[in-house]
Amino acid sequence: MPESAATPLSAEYLNMLGCVRCGQCLTACPTFVLTREEAEGPRGRIALARGLAEGTLTLSPDLARHEWTCLVCDACTAACPAGVQMDPLQVSLRATVAAPETLRARFYRWFGLRVILGAMWRLRIVVTLLWIARGLSVDTFARRSGLARLLGLERAMDLVPTSLSDDHLHADGTAHPPVPEVSAPTRVQFFAGCLMSTALAGIDRASIRVLQRAGCAVEVTRGQGCCGALHAHAGDLDAARARFKATIAAFAGSADFVVVNSPGCGAMLRDYAHHLAGDPDWAERARAFSARVVDFTQFMAPRHLRMTRRLDLTVTYQDACHLAHAQRITAEPRRLLRSIPGLALREMAESTLCCGSAGFYNLTHPETATALRERKLDRAASTNAEVIVTTNPGCLLHLQAGLTARGSTTRVRHIAEILDEATAP
Amino acid sequence: MIASAASLAADLRALLTASKVIDNPVELATYAYDASFFTQIHPHPPEVAVIAGSREDVSALARFAHARGIPVTPRGAASGQAAGSVAVQGGIVLSLHAMDRILEIDRANLQAIVEPGVVHARLNETLGRERLIFPPDLGSTRMATVGGMASTNAHGMRAVKYGPTGSWVLGLEVVLADGTVIETGSIGSRAKQSSSGLDLTKAFVGSEGTLGIFTRLRLKVMPLPPARALVLGLFDRLESAGESVQAVFAAGITPSAIEIVDQRCIQAINLYRPALRLPEAEALLLFEVDGAPAGARWEAEKIAETIRSRATRTEWSDEPGRMAALWEGRSVVGAAIGLLRPGANRAYCGEDICVPVARIPETLREIQRISAEFTIPIATYGHIGNGNLHPGHLIDARDPSEVARVQKVADAIHDLALRMGGTTTGEHGVGAVRRPFMEREHGAALGAMRAIKRALDPRGILNPGKIFADDPGDEQGDSWRQARGPG
Repeated sequence: MPESAATPLSAEYLNMLGCVRCGQCLTACPTFVLTREEAEGPRGRIALARGLAEGTLTLSPDLARHEWTCLVCDACTAACPAGVQMDPLQVSLRATVAAPETLRARFYRWFGLRVILGAMWRLRIVVTLLWIARGLSVDTFARRSGLARLLGLERAMDLVPTSLSDDHLHADGTAHPPVPEVSAPTRVQFFAGCLMSTALAGIDRASIRVLQRAGCAVEVTRGQGCCGALHAHAGDLDAARARFKATIAAFAGSADFVVVNSPGCGAMLRDYAHHLAGDPDWAERARAFSARVVDFTQFMAPRHLRMTRRLDLTVTYQDACHLAHAQRITAEPRRLLRSIPGLALREMAESTLCCGSAGFYNLTHPETATALRERKLDRAASTNAEVIVTTNPGCLLHLQAGLTARGSTTRVRHIAEILDEATAP
Repeated sequence: MIASAASLAADLRALLTASKVIDNPVELATYAYDASFFTQIHPHPPEVAVIAGSREDVSALARFAHARGIPVTPRGAASGQAAGSVAVQGGIVLSLHAMDRILEIDRANLQAIVEPGVVHARLNETLGRERLIFPPDLGSTRMATVGGMASTNAHGMRAVKYGPTGSWVLGLEVVLADGTVIETGSIGSRAKQSSSGLDLTKAFVGSEGTLGIFTRLRLKVMPLPPARALVLGLFDRLESAGESVQAVFAAGITPSAIEIVDQRCIQAINLYRPALRLPEAEALLLFEVDGAPAGARWEAEKIAETIRSRATRTEWSDEPGRMAALWEGRSVVGAAIGLLRPGANRAYCGEDICVPVARIPETLREIQRISAEFTIPIATYGHIGNGNLHPGHLIDARDPSEVARVQKVADAIHDLALRMGGTTTGEHGVGAVRRPFMEREHGAALGAMRAIKRALDPRGILNPGKIFADDPGDEQGDSWRQARGPG
C-alpha cells in the first residue's frame, strides 16, 4: 500500500486483504439481495475500500453512496469463511468518505449525535418533550398541518412508540437486589442504553426484574450514556472514541458481567477492544471491559428462571443483526422462548435478513429500509404469529411502525418483556 | 463505427427493457474481478455491466453486440477462481444473477426448470421440502449459481458417485452469439434420456460462456436418499490413505463422497477448532455413504473394517450430531488454513488439479516439494475419490516477492498435474488463467474445439480470452478496444 494513502483505512488494510472474493457474503447481504449490484454487496464494498487504500480509486460521491447504502448489519462477517471483520472496516471507511447527504440530513446528524446523544440528560428532555407533545396531540397537528413534512420529520415521528415512557431509568448507581434473596448473588452491571433507558424504559425495567429473579444483584452503573455505535457507524470516529472511553471509565467496577439488552450497543461494546487496540492508554482497559460484556439472552439462557405463568401466545422470532451476525447468538433467545409454558414459537423465513432499521438508516435510506421491512413483515405474517419477538430497540420501533402503517394487530415485543411476564410473581 | 463507453451504455439502456445498465467507473471497478489471484493483481473492469432481467434482453443484447463486435462476458456470482467471468478484453459483463426463478419442480418427472442465477443452496433447500435433491454438491453452495455450475461443469464432493453437474443437465435454453435462442435436448422435451441428434447440451456444459449464454436449465433431480453415514480415518502415511481408497472400491462400495485433508490442513483444523484434538497424521479421509438406512450402515461398517488395518484411527456414525462433528474438520478447512500463517491469505491459483486416484499420494508429496522449493506454505484438501485436489497457497500479498513466487508455484502445480497424467482443472474451469496449458493438455483436440467455437461464434464476441489459447479469432476483443480508442 502506498505510504501517501495513510488514512483511518490503513489500520484495516490487512483486514481488507483477507477478502479472497469468494462471494459467500453476497446472498447474506440485504442490499445485494435487493439490487444484485456488485457495488451494493460486501465484496464490492471491500473492493472499493481497498481501491481507496491503494490509491487506484479516489474519493467520490459515487463511492461514498455505496458505503452509506450499507446497513452495517454484519451478515457478511458472519458468512465470511476468511474471517474478514466488516464492522471495523466500515467504521474506518465511513470516517474516510464524506457524508453524502443533504445539508438538512447533516444538520440532523450533528444535532442528533453530538448534541442530543452527547449527554443523557439532553436525550431525556427530548423524550419528555415528545411525551408532552403526544399528550397535547402536537404530533397529530404537525402531521395534519404539513409541518412534519416541511421539517423532514415525518418518518422520524412514525418511529416514536405509541406507549412512550415518561418514567426514565436514571443511571445513578442504584442497586437492585436479587429476588428472592440469595446468599451469593451474581453481581451484574447493567448497561441501560440511550433509547432503552428513556423512550423504552419499560424494557429496561423488565430486564432488571428478570435478572433479579435469576438471582442477580443488578447495579445500574452511574455515569454511563450512549455506547457510541451510532457515532461510529455515522463516520464520526472522534465522537465515537470519546463515547467508548467514557463508557469504559464508567464501568470500571469489579462485577464479572456487564449485561446489555440492546445488541446494537452490545456488539459495539464488545468491539471497543478492537477499536482502541492502537491506543496504548486504553487498549488494555478496553480489552478487559469488552471481555465482560454479555448480551441479556446469552446471560439468561443457562440460568435458572422459574416460569410462574403460562403465556398462550404464538410468536415468531426476528433475529436482530447485531445479535445473530455480530455476536453469533441465535440459539439462546429461542431456547428462552421455548422454555415458557404455553408459548408457541414459529420460525419465519429469512429471520436473519436485516429488517431495515439499522440505527439511523430508516431515516437516511427510507426506500431500502421500507423494502426490507415489508419483506420481513410478509415473512412474519406467513407464520400467523400474534407477536414478533426481537431483542433490539431499533428493530422493535421500525417493525412496529410498519405494522401500524399496515393496520395490523400483530405486536412487536422485546424478549425481556415476554420473560418478565412469564416470571412475574 | 464503434461507440464510446458512454454511448454504448446509452444504446443498451434504450434497447433493454428489463435490465439494469451500469457504466459508472466506481461501480465498474467492482466487476473487475472474481476469486482468482490473477484478477487480484490484474483487475479488468468492463466498459459496461448489465444485470440481465429477461431472456429477451439477453437475446437483444447479444444481437446488438454481435452486430458491433463487442465482447460479452456472462457471469453468475463471479465466485470462480480462473477469471472465467471477468472481461479480460473489455466490453460488456452480463450478470445473470438476478434471473433466479425456480420456474417449476416437476415431481412426477423428477426434473426442475430453473433460471441460471439460482444459487445452489436455495435450489436444494427448495427441492428438499419435496424430499428431492440436485446431487452435485459444492463447497461453494452458498454462492455458486446453477448457471455458473453448468458453465464450468462443476463437480463437488459427491461427484465420485453422482458425477458432475453435466450429468444432471437434461437441456438448456441458450442465447447464441447472434441472439438466436435455441433449446438443447429437444424443444419442450421432458424426456430423461435422448439419442436424438448431436448432444448439444454436453457441448455447452463446461463451455464457460464461450459458445452461448444460458437463460434456462432443465435439471434432472432425484429423491433425497433417506439415510447417510460417515466414516473418518486418520493415516500416518499418505500412501496408506491412497491404498484405503482403492481398497474401499475393491470391496464393492461406491461412497457418495471421499474427501482428503493433508497434514498441514490437520494442523490448521487443530488451530481453528482445538476441541477437535485431531492427532498428528499425514492425511485424514472422510467417506460418506448414502441410501437406505440399513444399507448406509452396512457400507459404513464395511468401509471402517476395510481401512482399519491401514489407519491409525477409524470411526463411523450414522447419527446426525456425531456425523456433523466428524465432518466439522473438513467443513472448516477452507477458513482454517489461513491460521497456519497469521497475516497471510489464500491465493487462488493452481488450485484445482485432478490426477489419477492411484497417484494422489505421489502428487501430494510433490506439492510439498514445490511448497518447500518456493517457500510458500501449501495446505491441500480435495475430493480424493475422483483425484481432484485443491492446494491452498498462503501468501502475504503485500510482499512482491511472494506474489511473484506464488505464480511460479501455480505453474509448477499445473505442470505436475499434466506429468501425473491428469488435468490442470478438475472442476473450476480454464478461464483466462489456464489457457496457456490447453495446447499441451489437448493437442490436436484443441483445434477441434476452436472449430466449434468459430462455428457458433464467428466474430468471437462471447467471453473472448478464455479456454482457446492463442486462437486468432480471440483477438476480436482487443481489436474492438483499439478501434474504440481511449475513453
